[in-house]
Amino acid sequence: MKTTKSNPTSKAVSRRNFLKRAGVAAGAVFAAPYFIPARALGRDGAVAPSERIVLGAIGIGNRGSYVLDCFVHEPGVQFVAICDVKETRRLAIKKKADDQYGNSDCAMYHDMRDLLARPDIDATLIATGPNWHATAAIQAANAGKDVYCEKPSTKNIAQSLALAAAFRRTGRVFQAGTQRRSLPNFGLAAELAQRGQLGKLHTLHAHPMGLTTLMSGWLPEEEPPDKEKIDWDMYLGPAAWRPFNKKLLDGFNFEKGGGFFGAFGGGGCLEWGSHCVDLCQWANSADNTAAVEYWPEGKEMHARYANGVKLVMRNDGWLPLGSCPVRYEGETGWVETADNGEMVANPTSLIAGPRPRISGYPANFHVRDFLNCVRTRGQTRANADTACWSHITCHAANISLFLGRRLKFDPVKCEFPGDDEANRLRSEALREPWRI
Amino acid sequence: MKSKIQHFGWCLAIAALTTAVMAADSPTTSAEKARQAITTLQSNAPGDEKAMACKRLAVYGQADAVPALAPLLADEKLASWARIALEVIPGSAADEALRAAMPKLHGKLLVGVINSIGVRRDAKAVGDLTSKLKDADAEVASAAAVALGRIGGDKAAKALEKSLASGPVATRSAVAQGCILCAEQFLAEGKSAKAVKLYDTVRKADVPKQRHLEATRGAILARKADGIPLLLETLRSPDKAAHGLGLRTARELRGTAVTDALSRELVKTQPDRQGPLFLALADRDDVSVMPVVLATAKSGPKNLRLLAIEVMVREGKPACVPVLFDTLAENDVELAKAAKAALAGWWGKEVDGQLTTRLPRATGNSRRLLVELAGQRHAVAAMPELIKAASDVDPAMRTAGIKALGETAGTADLGALTDLLAKAKSADDISAVQEALESTCQRVSDKAACADKLIASLATSATPAKCALLRVLGVVTTATALDAIRTALASPEASVRDTAVRVLADWPETPALPALLEVLRTTQDDSHRFLALRGCVRLLDLGGQPPEKTLETYRDMLSRTERTDDRKALLSGLANVADPAALKLVGPLLKEAQVQAEAEVAMLKIAGALVKSAPADAKAAATQLQTESQNPTTRDRAAKILADIEKSR
Repeated sequence: MKTTKSNPTSKAVSRRNFLKRAGVAAGAVFAAPYFIPARALGRDGAVAPSERIVLGAIGIGNRGSYVLDCFVHEPGVQFVAICDVKETRRLAIKKKADDQYGNSDCAMYHDMRDLLARPDIDATLIATGPNWHATAAIQAANAGKDVYCEKPSTKNIAQSLALAAAFRRTGRVFQAGTQRRSLPNFGLAAELAQRGQLGKLHTLHAHPMGLTTLMSGWLPEEEPPDKEKIDWDMYLGPAAWRPFNKKLLDGFNFEKGGGFFGAFGGGGCLEWGSHCVDLCQWANSADNTAAVEYWPEGKEMHARYANGVKLVMRNDGWLPLGSCPVRYEGETGWVETADNGEMVANPTSLIAGPRPRISGYPANFHVRDFLNCVRTRGQTRANADTACWSHITCHAANISLFLGRRLKFDPVKCEFPGDDEANRLRSEALREPWRI
Repeated sequence: MKSKIQHFGWCLAIAALTTAVMAADSPTTSAEKARQAITTLQSNAPGDEKAMACKRLAVYGQADAVPALAPLLADEKLASWARIALEVIPGSAADEALRAAMPKLHGKLLVGVINSIGVRRDAKAVGDLTSKLKDADAEVASAAAVALGRIGGDKAAKALEKSLASGPVATRSAVAQGCILCAEQFLAEGKSAKAVKLYDTVRKADVPKQRHLEATRGAILARKADGIPLLLETLRSPDKAAHGLGLRTARELRGTAVTDALSRELVKTQPDRQGPLFLALADRDDVSVMPVVLATAKSGPKNLRLLAIEVMVREGKPACVPVLFDTLAENDVELAKAAKAALAGWWGKEVDGQLTTRLPRATGNSRRLLVELAGQRHAVAAMPELIKAASDVDPAMRTAGIKALGETAGTADLGALTDLLAKAKSADDISAVQEALESTCQRVSDKAACADKLIASLATSATPAKCALLRVLGVVTTATALDAIRTALASPEASVRDTAVRVLADWPETPALPALLEVLRTTQDDSHRFLALRGCVRLLDLGGQPPEKTLETYRDMLSRTERTDDRKALLSGLANVADPAALKLVGPLLKEAQVQAEAEVAMLKIAGALVKSAPADAKAAATQLQTESQNPTTRDRAAKILADIEKSR
């Protein structure tokens, strides 16, 4: 598979991610992103109209509405357009925006190409189903837009590489919606691992919340709705064709558990792995690579990085700290944290002292990091390269799960040496006319 | 709910279908799986089965599967499924099939085939794709341009350059994209001159702005150090997008010469662009960046100095530490605050070393900041200086020193703090030392040792200090600490007794309950009685004793007070006792007009909690409220409880 070199700035990006706010061992504080005031950039006063970030949103359901709220509450952001294949969603978002701004300016589209063609839009929020994520993000980058894209951001290894290459080529800013990268408990846990406070790191644990790869099927054909109500063709987008069936409009399986064999999403360990495996890669200083060996083991999926660190994807045996737990183990200590914001560590001195506790995995800090980078043109915490590699680890694990055998992976060539079947699962053709 | 169950059923069906069709642990070999899939494609099987067969061939199919897949390229429903397989089947057969399909197709189906040819990078298709650059359908021509870009090479590049110059506007963006993809490949192959030529061609062409920006980036990077002038030109552009592209590329172009050029540019650039440029410079992966950061941190404009502090934190280099200490010593409040925050969170041990060295020599405001910093970092080595600062004549320094001691001291240092307490003259100083003692006692693990040291100081302390020590014992909360508080209840000094009652009333654990009840029974002081009663209710709420004992305590307390506020407080506690006997205790209070509302609320809450465990009692209470209450809300809630009782039967 054709690969391109990682972004030359990635090393700096890694440091920036790890060390945005270093802390002493006791009471270390990982700072959530703060709004860079215009004055720090040498501009006095409030955000000038020319510095305003004009935002369009694509595919805004429940999750998208929440993230969009985070955007519109940040200084200097103006939301102007909604694109969704479902009319009810378009109308709901338009009403919300118009009510907020006291006008009727929010434009509505059901084809994202029309929204992306608007020269006044600087950035886009993409919160469609995962089927569209990479294709839409690359389309947006090619149209000159910065992109905040929900996760999982890609459907396979080829898309992951294409995403990274596109954002490098276009010079656009990308942030994957892996907002835990901007939360203090996850940040401090990663720093402890990074800084050697746990001793030599040997095992990372991630909670993929299910390892079964399901597939969005081809269900019996039903009478398709009016295109204005639901644009089925655009809903399918880059996925292989299948007849309309309203059950496929429900996000339960269609978007969330699609499985890499499904046409619509990653499924398997990708749905949650795009968060928790990503966090493990962060802790392992592996933002620019993927694990090199994968094997199913009982009810778990295991992997190993080139530096010898083992990654265990498991569902059971976690401390009661909420969803998306991760645990990092070294020769002299371990730390575990999750979505309730609490941390548990051994020795306890690793996390002694006051620390901010933020529960409920809010996205506002992550959105703020994105907006800061739109202004400074810097690299976000979950930039396209970082997202690319953490997704590749998940995709490779899914391939191993599907084939039911141990696989070796070469992150330089991005291939499974000597395994034709595994290599053929790295990509999937897009439905015409879409390409990435 | 029904729809969710139905949907779940569908998911299971889909999963089962997938498992049946795709399962990797099927006993058949890969070749057999492929043969079965080919047979399905060649049969009259329905579309869904053929689609799954295509997916199977994407993993297991070889050249012999191509003849079965190729006809599907003209099928609007199955073409995309067929290409899933054809894009990955190794060998020339798939290439040939895709090429052969081109003349037979048009519109989207043709676009799809061209896209797949591009993905496969079929060099033999360059001629056909070049012809398609002139297709009347702009989508087809655009797809051909991008496919040529992916295939790359001299022939493709030449065709694309020609089309860029003479092709229609509608395809120009895609043709430019193709040129850029070609150029990337030239660059990856070490043919930088060819890459530069292509990038420059796009830059000079009439193409959309985004393509121009991409070509500019490529032209800069392909030229390496020779790209510096173009990089600077881009950074100086009045156009926001071009300037932004310059900032992005400034992070990517490697080499010390680039860093040097950007450093010089930083000084010259207009103030509102200095911040972003400095951040771009700082993001560069180049050892020569740090001296620039340090120099900026020392003497740059203030906004850059603030950014430099952020960068130094990120980099964490020891060389940054002296610069941060020097900044902290400056008069500028904002800079000093930022430097202090940076040093407070610094991982490296070099900060504590510098701190210990600098603290004895520092004076005035900077000394105060260093003292605060020592506290934030729990710098034990700075303890002697902190003790000095805690006795300083300057109140601000003294306060900072005491606070820092509280943040740093261990059990062994408690004596230093109790000494300070003994010497403290003002109420502010006593309060500050008390807080420091509380901070220390909360932090250290050996609470018993803390209690012993504090109790030992009690006997020799003056009244204000004694009261402060009692408050600190309220933080320690060991058994001996509680004994000391009990003893203080009998003190001849009124202020000591008062403090002891207040500490006891806030005691967080139930062992304090007997002492508080004793206060309630014996005190003549209204405020002490009030505090004790509320303390008792709070501790009873924590549980820890049998319900009958709890109810006996409430009964006793009710008998000892006629005050309305007290009875309301007791009812608020009684409401949490889920026991039929609690209903009997509350019942008579329904007739007391001044607490009737609180009694109704308590009875409702108790009855609600007894719906399952004691339905008869709950029903009697709810019926009484529904019948007798004058409050419609109470009657509604009572009715709901009765309904719940009915439901739970």
